[in-house]
Amino acid sequence: MPVTSEDWERRKRFVNFTEADAKLLKQAKSHMEKHVDEVVNTLYANWQQYPELKKFLNSPETVERLKVTQRGYFLDLFSGEYGESYLKGRMRIGHRHQQIGLDVRWYIGAFSNYVELVTPHLFKALSKDLDKLQGTLLALIKLINLDEELAILTYIAAREEVISQQHEEILELSTPVVQVWDGVVAAPIIGTLDSHRTQMFMERLLQAIVDTKSPVALVDITGVPAIDTATAQHLIDTINSVKLLGAQVVITGVSPAIAQTLVHLGIDLTGIMTRSSLADGIKVALDRLNLCIRPKGAA
Amino acid sequence: MVSEVAERNSLKISSEQDIVLVRKTVRDVCRDAGFGLTDVTRIVTAASELARNIYRYADHGTLTWNMVSDGMKSGLELIFADQGPGIEDVNMALQEGYTTARSMGMGLPGTKKLMDDMVIETKLGVGTKITIRKWVR
Amino acid sequence: MDDINVAVLRLRNVLIVSVPGDPDDHVITGLQDKILNSMMRYRAKGVILDLSTVDIVDSFFARTIIDTAQMINLMGGRTIIAGMLPSVAITATQLGLTFENIETCLNVDTAFTLMEQTG
Repeated sequence: MPVTSEDWERRKRFVNFTEADAKLLKQAKSHMEKHVDEVVNTLYANWQQYPELKKFLNSPETVERLKVTQRGYFLDLFSGEYGESYLKGRMRIGHRHQQIGLDVRWYIGAFSNYVELVTPHLFKALSKDLDKLQGTLLALIKLINLDEELAILTYIAAREEVISQQHEEILELSTPVVQVWDGVVAAPIIGTLDSHRTQMFMERLLQAIVDTKSPVALVDITGVPAIDTATAQHLIDTINSVKLLGAQVVITGVSPAIAQTLVHLGIDLTGIMTRSSLADGIKVALDRLNLCIRPKGAA
Repeated sequence: MVSEVAERNSLKISSEQDIVLVRKTVRDVCRDAGFGLTDVTRIVTAASELARNIYRYADHGTLTWNMVSDGMKSGLELIFADQGPGIEDVNMALQEGYTTARSMGMGLPGTKKLMDDMVIETKLGVGTKITIRKWVR
Repeated sequence: MDDINVAVLRLRNVLIVSVPGDPDDHVITGLQDKILNSMMRYRAKGVILDLSTVDIVDSFFARTIIDTAQMINLMGGRTIIAGMLPSVAITATQLGLTFENIETCLNVDTAFTLMEQTG
């Protein structure tokens, strides 16, 4: 869920981070520049004590590279510019940390490390102007808070991506299309048919029909608990699409309840073959293919 | 409302051949955008309908395309614009089975079903602008 | 009007047309002429339209196919559409296109068998 510029401005308003705050931070920049290396070195010295963080700091070159990025991050806090490009930069960093698999708590904790290291320097620099000191400190805290929000959002977005992918997989797995005989495919539908699921179902069913060259497709709705006008329409669309390919659909598993619903809803099923069981559907299919099953040894 | 600014993402529609070019171009754009095969088919078909409308009723017009985003998902937006006669009754045109002299009419109801969003802006004697959108699932 | 570059094959009284993938309007209408002329020339009993390379069917294309089938009918012939792609079938259904009165088959093979079966 990318954060829009409007969202970002709204978040700033909520924590009351104003242009005045931006100015105060900018004014503190020259003081902070003098201490940036010291702050960054202290941060890394602390982080290297924890194995969960140390594993990302696996070589001196990596650490040097990361320190350079860290300096940039640190100085950005005092840049005075907190608009769209600041937002994008923070989202990118958050995304990167999430990608490498850093537990979000270390990431959030690091913000606290920053505040702890920066505050003494601010006090020293602005001790003569207590109002300015308070304003700058508050501005920093608000900005850090906003950065934390973005960090958390990035992690949430990644989780949601996983959930969405799993959802797709479930949809795929729950609409199997199997070939039950030469020329007959069967597709049981379990659960409800919304329009997205119908799309996926239709594509898979039609492709299976083409791949197996099956003139008959059995669509079994035993596992469909209830049928409404929309679902009936999806089924009709499926049947019509299959007809265009040159194959025939038999809807099987029509229970008494569904039969009643379909008639009451006034759904026009003329020309559509239906049966109450999959077994009966198979009989229809075999018949259509001019096949029959008989006991061994019978004439 | 109607613009014929030559942008990088735009095509002029003024000949029968341009309808084919619209299909080819939209097909490529859809593939790059990551749409699945059936969605590509839907979008190209819708584009073909609207391009043909321009050629048939307005003599010439333009197609402009953009990738769009609503913050969470991305999609493709196609804008068909012309300075033709305009559509007299949009509601009628959007109803099933509405035809003009030639059968199949302007194919607007069908186009609407194939896409996620469709917006029609039209003024008699001035022109028409139809915007269609499909989101990548 | 037989100037379009599409082959119309004849196999035992049945015409088989491999419809090109993304034909322009000129080819679509030219195809109609060519098919009808061939129907007459060979006194064919029917036409199989092989759509297996066609990936887009808009309303103009569909209308022309339907009209052509009607014309073939008037000339005493039968029309079978074969090999439509799933993506086209799904889109056509969503577009509300019904190829009324035209038979459909999975491929040219089965279409040919069907054509032969009932004289």
